Amino acid sequence: MKKENNTDKITRKEAISKMGKYAALTAVGTFVILNPLKAQTSSAPNPGGDPFS
Amino acid sequence: MNTALAPVEQLLIGDFWVLWYAKSNTYSIVNTEFKLLLDEYLVSESKTQFLNSLYFEEDKELQNKIVENLFSYLQNCNSPYSKSTTSTSTDLDKRQRYISKQYNFEHKIVQVNYCSELVLKTIHPSIAHYCNISKSKVDVLFDVYLKENHLHLFKNEELISYVPKKDYHYIQGKFIMQLLCELHNKTEKDWIGSLHGSTITDENNAILFVGKSGKGKSTLCALLANTDLKLLADDVSPLLSKDQHIYYNPSAISIKQGAFKLLEPLVNNFNKLPIVDFNKTKGNLKYLPCTKPKQNHYPCRAIILVNYKPESKTLLEPISIKTILETIIEDSWLSPKPKHAEQFLSWLKNMKLYQLTYSDTTCVTKEVSNLFKEL
Repeated sequence: MKKENNTDKITRKEAISKMGKYAALTAVGTFVILNPLKAQTSSAPNPGGDPFS
Repeated sequence: MNTALAPVEQLLIGDFWVLWYAKSNTYSIVNTEFKLLLDEYLVSESKTQFLNSLYFEEDKELQNKIVENLFSYLQNCNSPYSKSTTSTSTDLDKRQRYISKQYNFEHKIVQVNYCSELVLKTIHPSIAHYCNISKSKVDVLFDVYLKENHLHLFKNEELISYVPKKDYHYIQGKFIMQLLCELHNKTEKDWIGSLHGSTITDENNAILFVGKSGKGKSTLCALLANTDLKLLADDVSPLLSKDQHIYYNPSAISIKQGAFKLLEPLVNNFNKLPIVDFNKTKGNLKYLPCTKPKQNHYPCRAIILVNYKPESKTLLEPISIKTILETIIEDSWLSPKPKHAEQFLSWLKNMKLYQLTYSDTTCVTKEVSNLFKEL
């Protein structure tokens, strides 16, 4: 974990103290998680096709 | 608390924090409020200490929900990354060499052996414009064949990948990656990633065009490559770690049937290009070869999300990193190495990000040309 200085800590604590409880709840529900492909591909084909038959 | 679950890289880009988790090679985009709560959660020594910082102690139920959400978010971001492995025990079956094609990429002669016309169609049409020689000394040899319902790819008689035939796009992707390594004298470990998007250059700078399938990305690049601008890469844009430039991908632009009519009057000899009917569900395709830019690589300065919209005016507007990453990450291969993730985030931070809505072909090429002048 990164080391933080006291200014960071105070600023964050102040900002959190100003956050209303519903704002905090909304905030923790709004995030995006994205996983890249594990191998290289070209554009994915449309599903259902078997070009080799 | 749970510091082992903390993101390894983090960068504020515009209004959003982009976080990277090493264990899972996951990218997460959060707003500043989320980041404040996450940081506080991670530095707190106990759940009680974290809850004390929330300033609404009276509502225990809500406090617990926040803790649960953060914990489950971190769990999700840290599910272990398992790389698909390729067995190395399969030997090359030389009896599958029914068709041989040689490609002349300036200083390198590449030969690809295919087992059938159908398998040839997975690779050949996109690089057919380099197939103008035969019986030369070969620098690199590829074998692509279908055996026991699996597509196999060998390079210099060593197995690179094999996948169920329905996943042929992985063989196409792997072949392009191996070809790029050969053409640019690199190994797979040298790349930050191969981004799903097409890159255009004015031979000073480059712009990466991204967008979901059907949003007019390839059509726009075909139009732009028909002006003073050059195509650097279509569909797969490789980003190198050493200089963080995008490198030349020799593949022709793949154009879907829906765009044939629009491009016929605008692109020279478009109607003479052969139609490739490889995948019936994908429809007919044409592969448009383009003039290679002078250099093999250029620095990318902007990412444009392409949005073709019939009857719309041409509109270039700033867009958030969140929308750009939502469009490209899951369709791109990105190296799981921490150094590469750090470089990728710094590279992103330097990009200008836009959405380009268009329908008029003249206006849109003018707009992109003007943007190049401003870079």
